[in-house]
Amino acid sequence: MKLSRPKQQRLFSLHLILGVAIVLPGMAAASGAEAKSQIDFERDVRPILNRHCIACHGGVKQASGLSFVYREQLLGEADSGLIPVVPGDVENSEVIARVTSDEEGVRMPPLEESPEGLTPEEIDILKKWIEAGAKWSEHWAFEPPEPSPPPSVENIEWSRSPIDRFVLARLERAGWQPAPSAAPEKWLRRVTFDLTGLPPSLVEREEFLQAVRNEGEAAYPQVVDRLLASPHFGERWASVWLDLVRYADSKGLGKDERRTIWKYRDWVVDAFNRDLPYDEFTRQQIAGDLLPGHDVEHVIATAMHRLTQTNGEGGTDDEEFRVAAVLDRVNTTWQTWQGVTFGCTQCHNHPYEPLRNEDYYRFVAFFNETADSDTDQEFPLARIPLDSRDYTAASRLDERIENLHGEIWREEYAALSDETMWHALHGLEAKTNNDTPMEIRVADGREEFMTLDPVARDTSITIEAAMPEAVRQMTALKLVVSPANPARAVSNSEWGFILSHLKMELLPPGEEEAHEIAFTQVISDEPRPFYDPQESLDPKSRHGFAAYSRIHYPREAAFVLNAPLEVPPGSRLRVRMDYRVTILDSFPLVARRGHLAVSGSEAVLDLFNQETWQEKRRQLAALQRQREQISATTIPVLRRRLPHLQRPTHIFDRGNFLTKGEQVSPGLPSLFSSDNEHAAETRLELADWLASPENPLTARVAVNRLWARLFGTGLVETEEDFGSSGERPSHPGLLDYLAFRFQSEHAWSTKALLREIVLSSTYRQSARTTTEQREQDPRNRLLARGPRQRLTAEMIRDQALAVCGLLSTKLHGPPVHPPIPDGVWLPFQANDRWATPDPGEEDRYRRALYTYVKRSIPYPFQAVFDAPSREFCTSRRLVSNTPLQALSTLNGAVYEECAATLAERLTQEHEDPSQQIRQGFLLMTGREPTEEELASLDNMHERMVQPDDAQSGLRAVALVLLNLDEALTR
Amino acid sequence: MMNRSSLIQEALHSSLQNFTRRHFLRESTTGLGAFWLALQGTQAAKAKTAEGAAAMGLPHHPPRASRVIYLHMVGAPSQLELFEHKPELRKLHGRPCPAEFLEGKRFAFIKGVPEMLGPQFPFAQHGECGAWISDRLPHFAQHVDDVCFIKTIQTDQFNHGPAQLMVHTGQARLGYPSIGSWVTWGLGSENDDLPGFIVLLSGGRPPRVGKALWSAGFLESVYQGVQCRGVGSPVLHIENPEGTSRDERRIMLDTLGDLNRQAYAEWGDPETLTRIAQYEMAFRMQAAAPEAMEIGRESPATLELYGAEPGQESFANNCLLARRLAERGVRFIQLFDWGWDSHGSSQAEALNGGFQDKCRQVDRPIAALLADLKQRGMLKDTLVIFGGEFGRTPMREMRTMQRAALVGRDHHASAFTFWLAGGGVRPGFTYGQTDPVGYDPVENPVPLRDFHATLLHLLGVEHEKLTVPFQGLRQKLTGVQPAQVIHDIVA
Repeated sequence: MKLSRPKQQRLFSLHLILGVAIVLPGMAAASGAEAKSQIDFERDVRPILNRHCIACHGGVKQASGLSFVYREQLLGEADSGLIPVVPGDVENSEVIARVTSDEEGVRMPPLEESPEGLTPEEIDILKKWIEAGAKWSEHWAFEPPEPSPPPSVENIEWSRSPIDRFVLARLERAGWQPAPSAAPEKWLRRVTFDLTGLPPSLVEREEFLQAVRNEGEAAYPQVVDRLLASPHFGERWASVWLDLVRYADSKGLGKDERRTIWKYRDWVVDAFNRDLPYDEFTRQQIAGDLLPGHDVEHVIATAMHRLTQTNGEGGTDDEEFRVAAVLDRVNTTWQTWQGVTFGCTQCHNHPYEPLRNEDYYRFVAFFNETADSDTDQEFPLARIPLDSRDYTAASRLDERIENLHGEIWREEYAALSDETMWHALHGLEAKTNNDTPMEIRVADGREEFMTLDPVARDTSITIEAAMPEAVRQMTALKLVVSPANPARAVSNSEWGFILSHLKMELLPPGEEEAHEIAFTQVISDEPRPFYDPQESLDPKSRHGFAAYSRIHYPREAAFVLNAPLEVPPGSRLRVRMDYRVTILDSFPLVARRGHLAVSGSEAVLDLFNQETWQEKRRQLAALQRQREQISATTIPVLRRRLPHLQRPTHIFDRGNFLTKGEQVSPGLPSLFSSDNEHAAETRLELADWLASPENPLTARVAVNRLWARLFGTGLVETEEDFGSSGERPSHPGLLDYLAFRFQSEHAWSTKALLREIVLSSTYRQSARTTTEQREQDPRNRLLARGPRQRLTAEMIRDQALAVCGLLSTKLHGPPVHPPIPDGVWLPFQANDRWATPDPGEEDRYRRALYTYVKRSIPYPFQAVFDAPSREFCTSRRLVSNTPLQALSTLNGAVYEECAATLAERLTQEHEDPSQQIRQGFLLMTGREPTEEELASLDNMHERMVQPDDAQSGLRAVALVLLNLDEALTR
Repeated sequence: MMNRSSLIQEALHSSLQNFTRRHFLRESTTGLGAFWLALQGTQAAKAKTAEGAAAMGLPHHPPRASRVIYLHMVGAPSQLELFEHKPELRKLHGRPCPAEFLEGKRFAFIKGVPEMLGPQFPFAQHGECGAWISDRLPHFAQHVDDVCFIKTIQTDQFNHGPAQLMVHTGQARLGYPSIGSWVTWGLGSENDDLPGFIVLLSGGRPPRVGKALWSAGFLESVYQGVQCRGVGSPVLHIENPEGTSRDERRIMLDTLGDLNRQAYAEWGDPETLTRIAQYEMAFRMQAAAPEAMEIGRESPATLELYGAEPGQESFANNCLLARRLAERGVRFIQLFDWGWDSHGSSQAEALNGGFQDKCRQVDRPIAALLADLKQRGMLKDTLVIFGGEFGRTPMREMRTMQRAALVGRDHHASAFTFWLAGGGVRPGFTYGQTDPVGYDPVENPVPLRDFHATLLHLLGVEHEKLTVPFQGLRQKLTGVQPAQVIHDIVA
């Protein structure tokens, strides 16, 4: 197999620090003319600095304390005490002295590295720029888009939309003409795929052609409105979004177990279908759980950042992979919403952008506050009604339950928080049931029990102590469990504990028999812990009061009796704690350190006895029962940890989570937050900032993405990099026009924006090329012709099923398992089955969007047609063209089934073979075959028909049709 | 006054390289006829390809190896039971582990203060080089004079998934190109009818991170490894559907080609021409791949040498397949053999249990592969690599704190053994030395990135020049930390 390397130039564009521009007709001339006038920092000066200076005086390396990335360093004193640039004063600007010198050790860049140095023209530009006041501007993409009036053009009739004037002005500058309009049927195929991911049906085609004949232009918006209203619109655009947010139905890394998170995928489908404005779409996914009055759908939206990988491999450190997930949230947020590669600032300042190492960790702090922690159970989970019609009822119940729960917990916790009511136990005697060493230490005047290394599995700790003199009656026992090293654990958490069972006995003086004390209630320091602390009272349960799976702070729980217990003087207490859980085959979750106290206060019992409290409890139970009656699935979601359990965020030295540097608080990069109005301190404020018109990148990145999916290439080709190392936009005015319009007139409506673009003359152009165009603009950056794109993996499969009539149009639901080739499904866990529905069952023929996505075993058809395996954010798919694709569509079981079904369908609809072939061709390509094409197929049909199998010829024709270049493109 | 060899400088430099490459490629695609020819595997195409490689500056220097056969023992074999002769460790057997080994270290399963575990098998010296090999590898031991051992490979990952990724992609996270992808991306393939990067699995299970280990990451999907199988269909969808003969397929492809050429005439889309060529290549692959994968064509003597049995899935068969594929010019042949995670937690995963079976399963085939390649004159330009994702501790692993009959060791990242043979490496040589118990290197530690740099070097590629811009970085196999070629192991 020859590897088709030539594709790279299309895939990895020249996003060079050198600022090498693609020279297109018209462009060079224009910029040449403009260069003579005003010096523009961004256009003229920054490329010089990037080319010659940034390597040593950039974001990463700042030789002599000087960086050309930051304005203040350029205008301030360097280590030498000299000032690189003095506005208006060429003489005293050290930069000029250096670049014009020819003295070894003075000349910049250094003679031995760059003998030729700057060109006289470059030096001239620098001088002119300094003379004119050294005006600095940030990189274009970091300034908010402004209204951008469409330029005037000569051929005004061609323009249907302002979009066209931007495109045409550029073409006219190059002396080019736009292409003629595509044939209506070609446009229909293009727009139907682009908006719904499916081919137009023959009926839709016929209706449209008739409407064009009868109503002309009016037929076009009618089709677009029909497509935008189709429920399949959401499916098509969801598949675009899911690449960005790395959607998968498995957890990734070590075990790659199944993850139930499909409700999020359905939420995305619905969000596109109901045209949820992009700002709201953003807010709900980043911080839906923090929105005032949040409902079930807002909660589902937050699963977006629970699509990160977790690692369930034995012996792995939950904290390590929790941190990895948090960092991925930061990187994905930047990549998806801001089109800026922020990941490199994990280890150092950004080499080219004014984004600093500290900015990265301040951003991490926005996301470091959630409760999830790489546990196997994927906590925290939300229960989501299976039927979306139950969302409203469930939302109402959830709100009431949450409020009531919180209220009850606060009252209970308050009743126990008076420190004076507790009497610490002294004279502790402790032992374990196994080899785990145990010790009693006194710290801060308090006796503590400690387990020492190596802590064994299934450790039970038994503590005996005298009942404090002052306690004549007992109402509650308090257990505080601390990290082994509490000061260090705040930032470097330790493995936590799960108290599977706690049993207390009273040993009255002189009595042989111990009396077991029955607790009725466990109240912990958290209202919604992952495990119900109450389970610690159930000897059969392994769960209960816990710091799962990591502990940062001392944790406490009170075990309460239902009535005061008389304590004879001189009694002793015996408390046994069973810790039965070991996770990841390696880590016993056993308390490492703790102390006990008892209380005789009746405060909490008084609370329990109040009728209002009892009523609340009853209400809560009733509401919870009601909620449980709604059949539901679970989904991992974002939820904040309580303030007293928040983890601090530190800068990691060289990006390593084990070496923590300075502590930081949440905040936006200084580049965007120099004025206080852009301050953000919480995840919700971050979401607001991302979704605000003041954010310079959000709208541009979003409209560019839509454009790229429609035209194959974005206005900014490097969709993932809007920074100064990315490509500059091919049509800057058009990008800003669309961005500004998206966030203002269109009020962030994706449908309105798409409508405007697909109805433009630019989009309607024919894709036919001339030799001249192919040579001068092979990648169609000037847009002098219409787009011709290969179908996406999803479209290719969906089309095959659709044309043969097998495609299910059912929306939503759990992932499905269509046929998979033998020997592919070899999951790490042997019990993870791929159960394919039989022929005829609907779930065999669902749209590709619903196919189960396992990260370690990508569905072969998807993978071979360039769908990413969703490990991290993918901004654009790299389109390849390989023999393995040919084998999939020639020999794959899906294609075999489709070809046979299509042949069957054609046989039923027509008797004459030529008619059958004509019809098949029309179905696959949306157009009538030419006589020549028909002859080719007729001829093959004749040669392939076998005497004993009348349909064999037609099956072969169907397979060829499914493989036509025209069938695989739009 | 300035350190010009900074990372960024290198990045700038390599971006120029990239520019040159892309510039060339653009030129070549605009000449559609040339591209068309290039895909046809003709002499003219070969010339064109050579010209392309030269324009990219590849190879950067004359290659010592033309292809790679990489044997990965999944789970991490114990170096202390195979290659690392540590008499001192035997003396310490059963004694508590010294505190300095434990301070500041993280382990997957070891808790508290474990006991030291002496070598479980006797060692003897072999060959003229006198390399110490345990009695578990009697066949391999006869070839040590062709082998170069690196005793001090280091990784920073001690869990299987991330560590396997680290070995094969240079990153502990999913989503990066594997070595084979980088190599085929940079050097292309020497065979027009077979994938340039082929993966073979044995041991009954795939590695736990699955396809990520042969992923193309952010490179084009065409550079990902293609898993081939010795049982059933050798390549996915390689066989025509039942009832379709090769002649009939030819007729269909002729018609398809005819229609697609009409489409090209109509639309002028160069991708259409590529597609026509790829369908032709698929047709040729349908013949070439099953032929290459049919070990039944080998002589009984050869089958006997490897211990291969046609129709089975085995490491022995895969070694023989590797040679067949190497003969046919496949650039990168990656074997994974499951079952080396000898914790002592079960019979199959114990040094005194399944480990010995694994040794038996690989010993003869590896020896056969080395002998066979040598005899055919292929060892000189075929680089054979043997290794795992990390090594194993000199301490005994005891998960339950109870001393059981089964013996095992935990994961160990700071020093383990790889060996290389052929392809320009110094034969009969040992590089790097560990302390008397095999815990840490005492000289010449080799982080994986240095291993990667050296591997590329042997293939004629400078690791700092094989880069792709992605996520704001010039991505390369060796990552962002400085890596160096170990010239001492190059013959």
